[in-house]
This record gives sequence, structure tokens and C-alpha cells, in this order.
Amino acid sequence: MTETLTGAQILCRTLLESGVDVIFGYPGGAIMPFYHALGDHPRLRHILVRHEQAAAHAADGYARASGRPGVCVATSGPGATNLVTGLATAHMDSSPVVAITGQVPRSMIGRDAFQETDIVGITLPITKQNYLVQDVTELAGVVREALAVAQEGRPGPVLIDVPKDVQNQKTPYTPGAGGVSLRDKKTQSLRETPPARGVASSPDEGVREAARLIAAAERPLLMVGHGVIIGNAYTEVRMLAEKTGIPVITTLLGISAFPDGHPLFLGMPGMHGEVRVNRAIQHADLIVGIGLRFDDRVTGNTAGFAPRARIIHIDLDRAEIGKNVPVTLGIVGDARDVTRRLAAAVQARTCDRWLAEIRDFTRPRAAAFRGDLAPETILASLYQATEGRCTIVTDVGQHQMWVAKLYPYREPNSHITSGGLGTMGFAVPAAMGVHLARPGETVWAISGDGGFQMNMAEIATMVQERLPVKMAIFNNGYLGMVRQWQQFFHGKRYSCTPIWSPDYVKLAEAYGIPGWRVQQAAELPDVVAQANDHAGPALVEFVIEQEANVYPMIPPGGSLSEPIETAPAGAGD
Amino acid sequence: MPASHSVAVLLDDALLTLNRAVGVLRRRNVPIERLALRPTATAGVSQLTFILKADAATADRVAQQFHKIVGVRDVVLAATEESTREVQS
Repeated sequence: MTETLTGAQILCRTLLESGVDVIFGYPGGAIMPFYHALGDHPRLRHILVRHEQAAAHAADGYARASGRPGVCVATSGPGATNLVTGLATAHMDSSPVVAITGQVPRSMIGRDAFQETDIVGITLPITKQNYLVQDVTELAGVVREALAVAQEGRPGPVLIDVPKDVQNQKTPYTPGAGGVSLRDKKTQSLRETPPARGVASSPDEGVREAARLIAAAERPLLMVGHGVIIGNAYTEVRMLAEKTGIPVITTLLGISAFPDGHPLFLGMPGMHGEVRVNRAIQHADLIVGIGLRFDDRVTGNTAGFAPRARIIHIDLDRAEIGKNVPVTLGIVGDARDVTRRLAAAVQARTCDRWLAEIRDFTRPRAAAFRGDLAPETILASLYQATEGRCTIVTDVGQHQMWVAKLYPYREPNSHITSGGLGTMGFAVPAAMGVHLARPGETVWAISGDGGFQMNMAEIATMVQERLPVKMAIFNNGYLGMVRQWQQFFHGKRYSCTPIWSPDYVKLAEAYGIPGWRVQQAAELPDVVAQANDHAGPALVEFVIEQEANVYPMIPPGGSLSEPIETAPAGAGD
Repeated sequence: MPASHSVAVLLDDALLTLNRAVGVLRRRNVPIERLALRPTATAGVSQLTFILKADAATADRVAQQFHKIVGVRDVVLAATEESTREVQS
């Protein structure tokens, strides 16, 4: 049935019809017609954040946890620019976030009007696609296309900028009609472009060649990334690993793509990877990478990365293949589909000798922490309280690495963090989005004292919108990771890294939520259980050793073969 | 001295798509020697031709990036001798 609706109403209707049921936003002048229409669409739940950055991160958290687009809304000018960090975060980590921004009326664009900014221009390099809607007749199609583009292929953020007068313009509207012209465009593609060097001409040929390389390898490794989680390829990766006995490495964003307790599980590679994982890479003769970017935090200096290994790279994005490391064989395709075919094509084998060799690489972990409230003790207590059934959202820094290395993930996609952009302040707002995507499950946001203070205003959002996120703060009184670099590489000059915190227990009280400060390991089980079982949001501060370090560490630009395992001479510890 | 390579990009005739295509080079700091935009026989589709001062590997990596732009229909990478060859559309 065709009705005449305003642009603002069309925005609400197309979102609802596309299955969007929650949006994160903040109203303002140029987006007011949309907010006016929102009142007539109660099925579209709006979460009022305290800063637009949090809206983008929350939409990102929602998208990562649900696999569906996460939607955020902001006004023009500062509202729109506040989304930028969140969009860049989503872009780096391939997350389908759709941002809707108000814009000044069309007649005012380009005149430096009040709260005018070229948000389409600003976000060009950090979005997969963006639109300035010039006429209301395009709007429904643009929204549908934006939601499809965000999710299709390698996901990514999309921004729709809607001038205020377009929101007020009226046009006939038919549910479900128009838009999503992408596929039409693809079929019009004039011809197939030859693949890049090293890339198989077809997935079939690639899979056959990959199976041959796997059969011939003596020291193969599987290295799996975010693509396995996005592509829901857990079962296929496990089938491939178990049929061939190849040990599995998960990158930071690949954590939870393979069960932590599995006998073939090795751990995380790269800058803070365990020594045995990085040594395995340096000794491997074949690396099968699935859905990852071989980014610099994984490879260290690429000149010295996996010097003995041939690399097979399976990725949906052809531009990733050969971008960072030279590959022997690239296969462009969906992680699930290609891995399933590869698991069927490989001969069953074992890698027992290689596994034994890797076991010998294991070094006894030196006692890295003083005092009894060590990060691993805290995380063990968290695992116990949740029985491993929760989603953990981490921020960026030392705590992020401790969680990545020490928390035993069992459930697929139960670890969410800002990987590529390394956005401090991500955890708290992203956890709100994760909760809305998985309302029946427990969500813990773990931050350092630095990152927590970046977006702690969102506690108010949790209280107002009844979002029972559990917040943990690892408080060491420093911007810990930067302090660690200063200790190792800058002569222990702790320039601007000591950071004061408020009294977090009183802060919690001010927001009307329970808060605890834990200083002794003996207090852990009781406090963590109470916070975990509390019906609403709750906050726990863990006061940890001030100068604890994350070991081992590959110095930036260094080779995976040369980890730092204790503080360098002169840097003390 | 890096060689010259031509990249012909067939794309939707839209300012934003054009902006994104140029942005691929700007972001990677790949110098452009020459740049031409012309209509093609297909309505609504333009051909953007870049002559790049870049080694083959860089030109190849850049060419792959154009594929990611929504609205790009085809990308043809060639050595400069062939740069005048037009993409048949």
C-alpha cells in the first residue's frame, strides 16, 4: 500500500522494515524531524547516549554481537564529527555500522551554516560507502542499500547524511519497494578482472592447490582471524584442524573462533603473543591464514616474519591478499565456504611431531606480577563466577592483552574488542550494544583506568535505559601500556602517563549502582559473584600492581624471533 | 625511478564515487602523473584513467583497492605503453 510520508517517517519505516529494532543516538537541531517521527514508532527502541562517540561504539558492539547492522543517529556538525572515532573503529574491524546524520537544509549546504560540516567528506576514508541524500524520493532506496552494503561481503560502516528539509519533504512510500541496486550494478560489471598475482583463478583451483600444499607440509599452522567469526566458520575451521592435526593460532580479533581448551589450540600471535606461538610461526613451513589481515601487530617486521613458510591466504577481500605479506597462494572467498571445501579436499593426517616440537618451545612463564591481585587471578575469578558463559568486551591497553592471553574463551564470538584502530574508551559503550544484541546473556566491559574515564559518562545511559552491563576497571594509576613502552624504550621517563582516578565506588554510588573496590585476592570470589549476579549495571575496580607489564613483547618493528621477556637492563622492573 | 602504470577505472558517474577513487591514491600517497575522466558508451558510467608513478607491486595493490569501492565496475591495470588503450565498454 502506498502512503505519502515525510523523509523522517520514511527513515523510521525503512529501518523497521529492514529488521532494525534498536538505534543509539543523540538528538539535535538538524535531526529533529527524525526524532519527531520516532515518537510514532515505538518498536524502534532508541538508546539515548551521553556522547555520540558512544552511540557509534554501541552500534558497533551490537553489530559484532548480532551479525546484523548496528545503527547510530546524530545531528549535523559536532554530533556527526563525534561519530568519527566510532566509524573508524568499525571500519578497521569490518563491522556493519550504519550512521544516520542530520544535515543543514540543502539551500544552506556550502555556506558554513550553523552546525554544518562536510561529514560525507570527513568520513570518506573510514566508511565503506556514504550518501548525501539530495531528494526524499531517493531516501528509502538509500537506507535499504546502506543496510545491505554494510553487511554484504566484507562488512563495514556506512553513513547516510540527510538534510533537514529532506527529512520534512513528503513523497509516496511503498513498503519494501526500491533500493538495493547493488546487485544490478554487479551484473552490469563489464567483465571479470584478472586476479592479482598469487591469487587462484577460482576457489576450486585454489582449494586443490591448498590441499596439495597442506599434504606436503611438515610444520603447518592455521592462523584464523575475525573473518572466521564474521563468516561463522567455526565448525569448518575445527573440521579442517581436526582432520589434519594442524595447530591453530587465533589473532586478537580471532579469539573465541576456536575453543581455548582444544588440544590443537596454540594462542595469540604477534606483539604480545606467547613465545611458543611466535616461535611456531618462525619455524613453520606453511601458514594457512583464514580471514585475517597479517597486520603489523601480528607480523612484527614483515621482512623477518615466518621466514621458512609458504603462505596460503584465504580472504573475502581480494585487496587483502598480498597487501602485507607475500603469499604463495591466495584464495578469494567466504571463510566458511572455502574452509569447508578445503576440509573436504585435504587428506587426513596428523602433525604429532610438529606439535611436540611446539610444546618444546614453551617457556615457563616468569612471575610477571607482584602482589596477589594479579590479572590472571582476577580473570580466573571472573571465569568462575560466569562459568565462562558471558561476553567480554575489552578496551585497549595492558588489560586487553591480559584478557586476550589469559581468559579461557569457550563460546564463539564471546570476545569483543577494538583491534585495528585500538580505540580506548570502546569497551563501556560497546558493551551496551552487546547487551541489546544478547539481552539474555551477561556482558562484562573490562577497561583500564585510562580508557574507562574516556566514556564513563555512559553509566548514566545504562541506568536510564536499564542496561545491566558489568564494568571492571583494572586500575594501576597509569596509562599502563604507554608507561610500559616508556619503561622499555624511553629510559623509564614516565611522561604524562600517571593518571588520577576518581573514587570509583563513590562514582557508582552517584549513579545509583553498586560499586566495589577489590585490593586483595581473597575478596575476589565474593565481589565478582555479587557484581555478576546483580540485576542492573554494576562496577568493580581492581587495584592492581602499578608497574605490571605485559610479557612477552616484540618491540615495535622487531622480529617475532626476538621477544622481550623481562624488563630491559636499566629499565628496572 | 619507478615505472609508470596506467589504471583505468570504470565507475558510476557520481561525484562521491569519483572522490573515493581519487582518495585511494591520496591516502596511500601514490603520485599521479596524469588523470583523465571521460564518459563511456554506457550511460551513467565514466572511465577514470590514472597514470601512476609507482612500481608494479604498488600499482597492483592500488588497483585491487579500487575494486572495493561501491560503484566501481571494472579496473584494468596496464604498463604505460598500453595506457592509451581504451577499455571496451
